[in-house]
Amino acid sequence: MTKFRMRQAWTIARIEMHRAFLSKRAFWVYLLAILPAVIFIGHGIEMKLRESRYQGRGVTPAEVVDSFTKGEKVEDVLKRAPKPVEDHSWSYRRSHEDEEEEGETNKKRRISERVEGRSLTYFDGQRRVQVGFENGVLIRKHSDTMKNFEEDRTVFAGVFQYFYLRLAIFFGCLGIFMNLFRGEMLDKTLHYWFLAPARREVLLLGKYLAGLVAATVIFTGGALLGFGAMLWPYSGAEMQAFWSGPGPSHMFWYAAAAALGCVGYGSVFLAAGLLLRNPIIPAAVLLVWESINGFLPDLLQKLSILHYLQSMCPVAAPIESDTPALLRLILSPAAPTSRGLAVLGLLAVTMLVLWAASSAVKRIEINYGTE
Amino acid sequence: MTAPGAAPDVVFENVSKFYGEVLGVNKVTLHIPAGITSLVGPNGSGKTTLMNLMTGLIHPDRGAISVRGLSPRDPENLMRSTGYATQFDSAPRWATGMDFVATSLALYGYSRAESRERAWKALEQVSLTDAADRKVAGYSKGMRQRVRLAQAIAHDPQVLVLDEPLNGLDPLVRAETIDLFRHYAAQGRHVILSSHVLQEVDVISDQVILIANGMIVAEGEIRNVRDEMVEHPSQFIIRCRDASRIASLLFNESHVTEIRMNDDRLGLLVMTRNREEFSRALTRVAVAGHVIDGVIPADENVDALYEYLIGGRS
Repeated sequence: MTKFRMRQAWTIARIEMHRAFLSKRAFWVYLLAILPAVIFIGHGIEMKLRESRYQGRGVTPAEVVDSFTKGEKVEDVLKRAPKPVEDHSWSYRRSHEDEEEEGETNKKRRISERVEGRSLTYFDGQRRVQVGFENGVLIRKHSDTMKNFEEDRTVFAGVFQYFYLRLAIFFGCLGIFMNLFRGEMLDKTLHYWFLAPARREVLLLGKYLAGLVAATVIFTGGALLGFGAMLWPYSGAEMQAFWSGPGPSHMFWYAAAAALGCVGYGSVFLAAGLLLRNPIIPAAVLLVWESINGFLPDLLQKLSILHYLQSMCPVAAPIESDTPALLRLILSPAAPTSRGLAVLGLLAVTMLVLWAASSAVKRIEINYGTE
Repeated sequence: MTAPGAAPDVVFENVSKFYGEVLGVNKVTLHIPAGITSLVGPNGSGKTTLMNLMTGLIHPDRGAISVRGLSPRDPENLMRSTGYATQFDSAPRWATGMDFVATSLALYGYSRAESRERAWKALEQVSLTDAADRKVAGYSKGMRQRVRLAQAIAHDPQVLVLDEPLNGLDPLVRAETIDLFRHYAAQGRHVILSSHVLQEVDVISDQVILIANGMIVAEGEIRNVRDEMVEHPSQFIIRCRDASRIASLLFNESHVTEIRMNDDRLGLLVMTRNREEFSRALTRVAVAGHVIDGVIPADENVDALYEYLIGGRS
C-alpha cells in the first residue's frame, strides 16, 4: 500500500472516529466497558467503609481472637474480648422428636425448646472473625480476611474472562464495527464514501482503523480502569510487592487482551456488517462458535478469537469445583496457546477476515431501497 | 467514436443490470460525447441506474463501461475526474455545508487550507456561502440539492453526473446552475444529467438520451432524433396574414398530412412527412407573393419526442 493510500486510510479513519465514538446507536458500549470498574469501585468503597466502621468500634488483638474455642461460654469470650464490632442476638424455637418407652412399645414425642442465639463479630485489623453462640455456648467460628488481594485478583480474572472478553468486548465491537458500514447504509450516506477517489480496500481499512481506535480506547481504558479499581483499596507492602513483581506484566496483558479482542472481534463484525443486514445472526453464530470451542478439534480451536484472548490472560479464571462438567468445558480455554503464538494467531485470524471483507467491499453496491 | 485530440466518450457497451429479477437497464450501448447530455425517461426507466453504473455505485451484470477511458471499478482514478450529485437526499448529521464539501476534498490529498478554499469556491458557485457554517441537516431541500452539487464540482471534475440537479431550485439559482453546466460543457467536459423538466432539458442539452423500461429509445441531438422518427409527421407553426390561402396551397403538397388553422386566422399548424419538401413548398409560397412572418418547428423539443417515443409517461 502506497504512502498516499495510507494517508487516505488515516483521513477516512479520522472522519469516521466521530461516528465510532459518538454514535447514538452505540452509547451502551460505554456502559459495558465501565461495568467491571463500577463493580470493583463499589466493592472497594464497601470494603473501605466497613474497615473504617470496624476500626472506629475497636480492634481486638489477633492472638485474643485466635484463642476462642468451641464450647466456651459467651461471658468468657466477652471477658477477654469486650469490644466486638457487631453483636446480634436472637431467639427461636427448635423442635425435635424423642422416643420414650411406654409399656412394651416405644412412643415418639415431639419436643420443642427455646434457643437463644448470639453472634459476635471481631476485627483484628485484617480479619473479620464471627463467633456464633447457642444458649451462651460457642458453637461455630468463622474468619475471613476483609481485604483479600489474592481473592480479588482471581475475581477480577473471572470478571475479565467471563464477562469482559466474552460479552462486553464481543457485543461492544458488534455495536461499533457493524455500525461503520451498516449504519451508513441505514443513514443512506455510504455512497459519499464510494464516490471518493479511494479504493474500496482503503475505505475498509480507514473504517476499520476508526472502529479499532474507538473500541481500543473504550475497552482497553475500561479494562485498565477495572484493574485500577480492583487495586484501589489496597496499599502498603502488598502493593509494593505486586508492582515490583507481576503487577506491570498483569496490567499489560489485560490491556493487550482487551485491545487484541477489539482487533479480532472488530474485524469479524466489520466483515459481518458488509455481508449481513441483521447483526443478531452473526453475533449468535460467533457466540455459539466461541462457546463450543472447547469441543472442537485442535485446528478449529485456532479459529476462535476467544481461544487466543484467554491464552493471554495473566491469571486463570476461577471455576468452582461443583461446576457441571459441560459448563466447565465451555468456560475453560482448551489447551492454551503460548502468548507469542496467541498474538500471532489472533493477528492471522484478523488478517484472514479482513482479506475476506476487502473482497466483499469491492462487490458492494449502493441500493438503499432494499435496506 | 472519439475524434483525435477530443476527450474520450463515456461508453456503455451492451450493458445490462438486473436487481434480482427486476430489470434495471437492458443491453444498453451508448457513446456519450462531451457537452451536456440529458437522460430523459419516466420514473423507473433506468436513468439513475445508468448514472450509478457509470460512477461505480453499482456494477453491470453484463457489458462494459468506460468513463473517458476509466473503469467505474477503479474509483481511485475515476472519481478524481468525475463528480456525481446523487438524488439521495442525505448528508452526515454532524456536517455543516463547509465541512461536508471540505471533508470530501481531504481524500483528494488537498491540505486542510486548500480543501476549505476549494470548498468555499464551490459553495460560491452554487450561491450557498451564506449557509456554509450551518448544519446540512437544517438545510431546505433546494439548499441540500445545491450543497450536493457543490460537493460534486469542488474538485473540478471533467465528468459531472447529476441526478435531477434542478429539482427544488428557485428560478434564479436554476439559471445560475444551468450557466454553470454550460460553462463546464464549453470547456470540453461531460455534463450528464437527468431531468423531468422537459423544457429545461430542451433548452440546455446538446444531446438527449431517451430511455424507457431500461432500454434506450433514442439518442443524439434533439433535432436529429426528431428527424429519425419518420412515422410521426413533423409539425410547424406558420405565422402569416393570408392563412387560408396558404393552407389551400400547402394542401396540394403530397407530403402535407394535416393543416390546422389558428383561431386568429393568422397562423397555421402544418404536419408534414418530409421536412425538405415542406421547406421547398414554403419557398414557392413566399415567391408567389404570400407574406410569411415566421416558421417555428412545433415538435423539435423533448416533450414531443417523449410523447412520440415513450407515450408521455413522465
